Amino acid sequence: MTAATEAKPQKLSKAGSLLDNEQRLAYWLLAPTFVILFAVAFYPLGSVFYSSFTNDTFASAVQTDFVGLENYSNLLSVTLKELPPEIDEATGQQVIDADTGEPEFVSSIQVLPRDPRRYREVGTFGFFGKQYVFGATDADFIESIYDTTRFSAVTLFFETLLGLGIAIALNTAFPGRGLMRAAMLVPWAILTAVSSRIWEWMFIDTRAGFFNIIFQKLGFTDGQTPFLADSATQLPAAIIIDVWKTTPFMALLLLAGLAIIPSELYEAAEVDGANKWKQFTAVTLPLLKPTLAVALVFRTLDALRVFDLFQIVFAQKKYSMASFAYYQLIDSQALGYSSAASVIIFFIITAFAILYIRFLGVTSD
Amino acid sequence: MAVRTVGPKKRAIKWNRVGFWLLIVLIAIFLLFPFYWAINSSFKTEAQLRMTPGTFIPRDPDTGTISLTMQNYSAVFANSVFLGTLRNSVVLATAVTTLALTIGSFAGFALGKLRFKGKTPSLYLILSMTMFPQVAVLTGLYAVIQNLGISARPSMILSYLLFTLPFTVWVLTSFFKALPDDLIQSAQVDGATPFQAFRLVLLPLTAPALVTTGLLAFIAAFNEYLFALTFTTIEPNARTVPVGIALFTGQVARQEPFGEIMAAAVLVTVPLIVLVLIFQRRIIGGLTAGAVKG
Repeated sequence: MTAATEAKPQKLSKAGSLLDNEQRLAYWLLAPTFVILFAVAFYPLGSVFYSSFTNDTFASAVQTDFVGLENYSNLLSVTLKELPPEIDEATGQQVIDADTGEPEFVSSIQVLPRDPRRYREVGTFGFFGKQYVFGATDADFIESIYDTTRFSAVTLFFETLLGLGIAIALNTAFPGRGLMRAAMLVPWAILTAVSSRIWEWMFIDTRAGFFNIIFQKLGFTDGQTPFLADSATQLPAAIIIDVWKTTPFMALLLLAGLAIIPSELYEAAEVDGANKWKQFTAVTLPLLKPTLAVALVFRTLDALRVFDLFQIVFAQKKYSMASFAYYQLIDSQALGYSSAASVIIFFIITAFAILYIRFLGVTSD
Repeated sequence: MAVRTVGPKKRAIKWNRVGFWLLIVLIAIFLLFPFYWAINSSFKTEAQLRMTPGTFIPRDPDTGTISLTMQNYSAVFANSVFLGTLRNSVVLATAVTTLALTIGSFAGFALGKLRFKGKTPSLYLILSMTMFPQVAVLTGLYAVIQNLGISARPSMILSYLLFTLPFTVWVLTSFFKALPDDLIQSAQVDGATPFQAFRLVLLPLTAPALVTTGLLAFIAAFNEYLFALTFTTIEPNARTVPVGIALFTGQVARQEPFGEIMAAAVLVTVPLIVLVLIFQRRIIGGLTAGAVKG
């Protein structure tokens, strides 16, 4: 047995032992990368999973206990209740609001469960004349998931559309094209924290701010709109900021994708009598699909983990998923609870990545 | 017949040109206006900033003539806290870039040129790490740092490798792969070990790729905000530029000092834009390398 294994290396040809050496060298060269990735990714990820099942709190005298799924059920418990109509005691009829003429319903607080956990209102909506309330035990977190996905979907839509438009415009030869390409790198090169502050100033709630100047000049508003404090304009503002910052990146990727489409294909399409639109749908789009797919995957994952913009522009007025986890950790020192939120974020993002890669057929090569 | 059709056709083409240039001008305004607004505001005094409506060029509130002030810039240059963040960021980003390039080029060479078992899983693992959401490990890293009492600067350097290293390895792997195999073989015939072949023959050839990836890693490290904000909570001296800009307080902390913030924003941005424009071809190449398969 031992003789056989000992004899083996001797039988190997010189090429074989070279291969052995090569393999050993490869492992040594890869070792630092994997040690670091273990220290900054796998180990912390494991410890996040672990502490998500505890009530661990920083700077607290309370002993850390294992709480099972309590953090998760607190973060994710949601309920949908019908709001019964508000009945006038005297008439027995539903109360009608005197100002708006709308029928009134019982307030959400009376309907949402309080025991064993208290549910808070996320939103109400009407459906076939009935009124419903959507409640959650942690309304902030549920809202942050909803807002972050909406934010991601809308920014992605606009930056793809604009990026494609810009890429097609810049793909034609014209004097000053190099200058335009350089200009495209400006929003990309500006630090996210810096651009957030610049836009915060442009959105300021007086006519010192660019948007209030313009909206007042156009006669839409009185020039006092608190864009970043009003819940109706918060998300649109965030979307505008992010679209500005990331459209150039999208356009650059698509421009590179356009550059590798052979011009003979357009010439052939021209000969076949295809107009510009037909050329776009029959040649440009199909050949741009792989580039578009990769760009979409990267941008979606980026948008879903948005932090800088929300933390700087909104602080605690509106949360993204990441800024929610941050405030739970730093403001509440709730290590366990914040970890559970992080785990949920991790799974949401991973799910999106897998879905995308399946759906768009991205091949990794 | 042919002569008649030329007329309207020519006019149509002309209108196309006008529309096209209008589009180009619109795109340019869209891309550059916010930065122009920051420059504009950075040259305004407190009184000029409070003018309603705000002016598109700094103007005197009473006479309406153009008047620029340098007071925001001199305030920023006198602000030792802000200058400290600038120094922190440059040192930090340089250290991260150096580490990522060194370690990344080892891994890139192994994955791109050497034969060994487990290569494909390693590649997939590293590719998946390029999409890793940083927030997922935030509490874990924070707990480790708190418990071991590691100070903010080394914590940031180490944690920034989470997003710079996989990207560096990925790009350098494809670069090493593209180099001809004969280079190693002929070096080995000359008696060089594979590692010597890497260090003396292949590494110098990857210099352009190192510059590109290094620059992108540097900008990514310079831009990082989540870890920097979290790890410097109890150590304000270690704050980086993004954190400094986000938490900027002026000399007179009456209101948010937007004039000074904009001056600081311009000062940070101009060198970055210059750097990016000098290396623009390389950067565009590096950014698009992963996305476009030729």
